[in-house]
Amino acid sequence: MMSLPFLLFACGLGAAWLRQRGAAMGFWVAGLVVLLVLFRVHMTDVLNIAL
Amino acid sequence: MPSDVSKLLNALGLLAVGALLVLAFADQFWFRDLPCPLCILQRAAFIAGGFGLVLNLLFGPRPSHYGVIILGASLGAAMSIRQILLHIVPGTGSYGEAIFGLHLASWAFIAFALMIVGSAIMLLNDRQFGRPEPWSSRLSVLPLTALVVFAAVVAGNIVSTLLLCGIWFCPDNPTQHFLFGGTPG
Repeated sequence: MMSLPFLLFACGLGAAWLRQRGAAMGFWVAGLVVLLVLFRVHMTDVLNIAL
Repeated sequence: MPSDVSKLLNALGLLAVGALLVLAFADQFWFRDLPCPLCILQRAAFIAGGFGLVLNLLFGPRPSHYGVIILGASLGAAMSIRQILLHIVPGTGSYGEAIFGLHLASWAFIAFALMIVGSAIMLLNDRQFGRPEPWSSRLSVLPLTALVVFAAVVAGNIVSTLLLCGIWFCPDNPTQHFLFGGTPG
């Protein structure tokens, strides 16, 4: 699961190398969304600070 | 700023991002400082931001490519701020060893901030976007080297994350690589 964003970005790099800009952007957006979800999942501790 | 200069600066930026990720690997494998889940996500955010530099090199500079850099780096900055805040109160511990007085999350935040500011400065120059000739997809040594290094660290991170976490989530405080006898998160 944690390697999924890396995999998606790697697919995006492959698409960019093949000059498929739309596909590359699609993989990048998918990777960013997965990254956001994983970030949310890992925010488990309550911050001990007063903002 | 001519598009050649833009290509050079983007190649240098990509090389810098690649070098940062190589240093993170050195810290992981040489100094046995295993990355926490947030640290792994910050590495992915560096790649998300660096992706915009790759697009600039392969397709020519576009404002949307700088947007890719800024969005990736902004997410990474949010992650590093979160990690900094976890340990900002004195006596609440830290994750990993400090390097030149700062922990890796603090260095990561500085790097993400530099990526955002650098992209904003590059966006100020409109001449790079209005080129009369089509963008040459031929890459000279420096951009090609930057691309190869970047692709290598992306591949390395896939392998490293699989070694550390298996196919599921990572442990909060990893003590050894999952595939070498550790426990999943």
